[in-house]
Amino acid sequence: MSSYLLLTVFLAIAIVFPLIPLAMAWAWARLFSPPKPGNDKQSSYECGIESAGPAHVQFQSHYYLYALIFLVFDVETVFLMPFASAFLHLPFSAFLALMVFMLLLLEGLVWAWAKGILAWK
Amino acid sequence: MTSLVHSLMPEAILVVAALLVLGLGVSWPGARTPITATALIGGFAAAAAILLFPLDANLLDGMVVLNPLARIFKLVILGLGLAAAVFASESFPKNHFAESLALILFSTVGMMLLAGTEDLLMIFLALELTSIPLYALAAFDKESRSSAEAGMKYFLIGSVSAAFLLYGLSLIYGVAGSTSLRAISQLSGPPDPLLIAGIVLAVAGFAFKVAAVPFQLWAPDVYEGAPTAAAALIASGSKVAGVFILAKLLTSGLGQWAGAAGWGEFQAGWAPVLALMAAASIVLGNVTALVQSNVKRLLAYSAIAHGGYLLLGLCSASADGLTAVLFYVVIYALTTAGAFGVVAVVEKQRGGARLDDFDGLAKSSPVLALCLLVFFISLAGIPPLAGFIGKFYLFTSALANGQHLWLVVVAVAMNAVSLYYYLIVLKHAFVLPAPDDIRPADAPASQALVAALALAVLVLGLAPNLLLVPLMKPDAGKGARSMPCCARGMIDPPPHLATKRFSAGAPGAGY
Amino acid sequence: MILTATFLSAFAGAALILLLPERLAPLARGIALASALAGLAFAASAFAGYDRVGPHFQHLTQIPWIPSLGISFSTGADGISLVMLVLTGIIAVAGVLFSWNVSHRPRAFFAFYLTIIGGVYGVFQSFDIFLLFVFYEIVIIPKYFLIAAWGSTNREYGAMKLTIYSVAGSALVLLALIATYAASGAHSFDLFTLADPSKAHFTPSFQAWAFPVMFIGFAVLAGIWPLHTWAPTGHVAAPTAVSMLLAGVVMKLGSYSALRVAMTLFPQGLDQWRIPIAVLATAGIVFGALVALAQKDLKFTVGYSSIAHMGFVLLGLMTLNLAGLSGSVLQMFSHGIIGGLLFAVVGRMIYDRTHTRDIAELGTMNLSRSLPFAAFTFTVASVASMGLPGFSGFIAEFTILSGSWKAFPVLLIPAGIGVVITVAFTLRALQRTFFAPGEPQACAHPPAAITLPEKLGAALLMAATLLIGIHPSVLLTPILRSFESPLMKTVILEVTK
Repeated sequence: MSSYLLLTVFLAIAIVFPLIPLAMAWAWARLFSPPKPGNDKQSSYECGIESAGPAHVQFQSHYYLYALIFLVFDVETVFLMPFASAFLHLPFSAFLALMVFMLLLLEGLVWAWAKGILAWK
Repeated sequence: MTSLVHSLMPEAILVVAALLVLGLGVSWPGARTPITATALIGGFAAAAAILLFPLDANLLDGMVVLNPLARIFKLVILGLGLAAAVFASESFPKNHFAESLALILFSTVGMMLLAGTEDLLMIFLALELTSIPLYALAAFDKESRSSAEAGMKYFLIGSVSAAFLLYGLSLIYGVAGSTSLRAISQLSGPPDPLLIAGIVLAVAGFAFKVAAVPFQLWAPDVYEGAPTAAAALIASGSKVAGVFILAKLLTSGLGQWAGAAGWGEFQAGWAPVLALMAAASIVLGNVTALVQSNVKRLLAYSAIAHGGYLLLGLCSASADGLTAVLFYVVIYALTTAGAFGVVAVVEKQRGGARLDDFDGLAKSSPVLALCLLVFFISLAGIPPLAGFIGKFYLFTSALANGQHLWLVVVAVAMNAVSLYYYLIVLKHAFVLPAPDDIRPADAPASQALVAALALAVLVLGLAPNLLLVPLMKPDAGKGARSMPCCARGMIDPPPHLATKRFSAGAPGAGY
Repeated sequence: MILTATFLSAFAGAALILLLPERLAPLARGIALASALAGLAFAASAFAGYDRVGPHFQHLTQIPWIPSLGISFSTGADGISLVMLVLTGIIAVAGVLFSWNVSHRPRAFFAFYLTIIGGVYGVFQSFDIFLLFVFYEIVIIPKYFLIAAWGSTNREYGAMKLTIYSVAGSALVLLALIATYAASGAHSFDLFTLADPSKAHFTPSFQAWAFPVMFIGFAVLAGIWPLHTWAPTGHVAAPTAVSMLLAGVVMKLGSYSALRVAMTLFPQGLDQWRIPIAVLATAGIVFGALVALAQKDLKFTVGYSSIAHMGFVLLGLMTLNLAGLSGSVLQMFSHGIIGGLLFAVVGRMIYDRTHTRDIAELGTMNLSRSLPFAAFTFTVASVASMGLPGFSGFIAEFTILSGSWKAFPVLLIPAGIGVVITVAFTLRALQRTFFAPGEPQACAHPPAAITLPEKLGAALLMAATLLIGIHPSVLLTPILRSFESPLMKTVILEVTK
């Protein structure tokens, strides 16, 4: 019975505890910093320059291609790291195998470049 | 190391060919013929590597396994990939043509790797290498909304199934402690619940590949929406590879937990699961195909039904059943590839693949119509074509232990039903008159290839031993056992099945 | 070798016709005729060369085909086979002659036609039941195209119904076939091996279901009542030569295979199911005849008469005594010829010229004056169909009825009634079509004269039925002898038992 009491008290405190700062924040905002909107205050920040045009620009799906190519080469780097750390103990054939791996990925990059994927449209 | 390179030489040649195709595509985009020629030369070189330098190997504890059976399947897959490339060269959209050929070649590499492995990790890797280019190929026609839909559906459902498969394989690995099928087959003791969960999940993942109910929902939309040459590769190549590796996994690795699927004699295991999926696929595939009006969709439902027949052969968990399944999957792949080839040419000539677009095909392209007749009659299982021999062998081996009479009855009945929808297509081709304005079909290579495939189906129907005998060659390593056993590691039938005789109705009937 | 030449010549003819270029298309019928004549020549010489005192099964060939399944290419002939092979040859030649005027896509027509002929030849000589089933199935698909593309009334529906019924029957046979192979333990599809009790044993409980499944599967093609509804629709829809083939030979495939395979392999099953099947056969005789009596379309009349005559065949098979069985085989031959002749007259001679098959309408056209040869031929065919002595139908039906008197005396009454009704509808059809009373209307243009190929075809068929009617021992002796072989003897039930 006493363990349930303990739990109930704990639950109550757990609920109340986060509410206190929220209540304090609400009270402060109400009493000490009521909202006073103004033109300059609401405008979007663009590194000090006057913003021109609407803020809602269509997101270019072309971005995903850069993300994809980045991901591929990032994973390549991940594979390169253990190879690099064990490099001195590995035979020549391992070096050849990894060169093949890197050349395959390099050809992928060359293909992407030649196809004009890397150029921003 | 060198033996690894030698063992994977055919795949390496194909990869090099694919990279060359990509390079050519970037430098001379409009030149379809040199690009196709490069792909074909690469393919023939890979085939020559398989045929001229036969190698038996078992590297890295089952990661790369080469034996006569694997070589046969690699050759078949290579042939199917090249067939898809030829069909694509004459029917695919003109933009990014080299990329489509490269994707076909990469997918073929994945399928060939699937045919030559006995390790869980490699299975998953090769399966993904097969599937991802196919997802892209399904969506390749950028001017067609149904192609985009097909690619999206294939990708989403395929990825989820791959996730299921991976989870299942990892559970199996967790129980077995090793990823090689050999180690898994040597587990002893009662099956762990985790192992059972793993088997079920793995079977679910593979059932997607084979398009078996209830994992078949992708097939009609993908087969209909994808460009026809891509659908040809999906229908033939990935099915061959998927069935082969499923058969190998279940019989080599998980053979002890087969269970039994006889009526009233169910024993827990993967065989009852396969039996139920087979029955559902056969019924659903055939019945739904009856009402289709688009030939590609009809072929998709027929593929679902044939997935059911293949699973039926696997249920019996015997060496005979295994041979029958492997024989039939090759026959089916050749037939389907040819059927899709015909559809590709008709689509190019008439602008669509609906039933009405086949009207009067016998008048406008008699050779093509005759090939269509051969393929569809083979799919319906009518002699003297290979499809009949294959189905007969499947049903006979399923009934050999006297266990699956209920399933064979369902299969034979639905097979008779299937003739209806095949005849409907043939009616449009042979009986109905042709429309007046028809362009001549400008696809000579596809037509020649389709004729060659039809000839192969006919020859294999008259002389099935050409394919059966290589599939049944006893493995020298197994000693003097004369039972047909296909490849290394294929099991003996479980003892309780090996000596059982057919005794319907009269238990203990004397002989 | 001479037996394989029969179907090889048919298939070779089909392949040759397919290779003809467009402008040589009229040659197709010539090639078809040559091929059909060659087949008839081979069959007839095999029949003539049959050694009456030698082994029962002659001209045997056996080549292993798929050893892993115990399948071999095993052909041969005994008296029954040879009779059926000769029948096929005669009908094939007559069919080509009656199709001499086919002008719409003749190459495809004759190629499909010859494929059916080849398949039928194959069934009648196969002694490996897998091989028999392969040939049996080869026949199915060309039937669909021939009816759907060159047929008449309701052809697409008729073709599909016929094909689906045939395939359903084949599915039953396939099931029984696979079960037989699995249950025999003999790892072979050879008929002799499977029928030998020392090599393959089937338990009575297995036979109790395997026999009806296999028999009914085959009998669907033979038009057993009540699974016969495909036949009138299909035969009416079919072009003339195909109706002749269907009623003449293809329906006999079912009854022959039932005799050759189902009845020899499963004698105990046969014993259990004998009476129900005999009842169904008699029902077919009576209902077929009654429905034929009510028809207004001449071709439907002939179609239903086929059902009635095939009922006799099946009844004879079930008597399991020598008289009934041999009569049944003879009736297969006889009805093949007579049915072919009837369909030829109705389809080619009458319908092609008058474009109507309505009996009442035909009666007004005074056909006995304008087409005297057709009238003569139809009269001959009708009296043969009625079972008049002097024609083959009489011998066949008489022996069947005497056999059934020994086996099922009770069923003799409805069968006899069936005979009487047959006479009734045949005479009615004959009289109202050709010899209708009343004033004939003047025809706007008289129908074209009967051409030489038609006359030759009709003469061939009439001569065959007359010859066998006068001298039935030509066929009966080999048939009776073949029932003495160890294989077929098992079918006969001893009367003294």
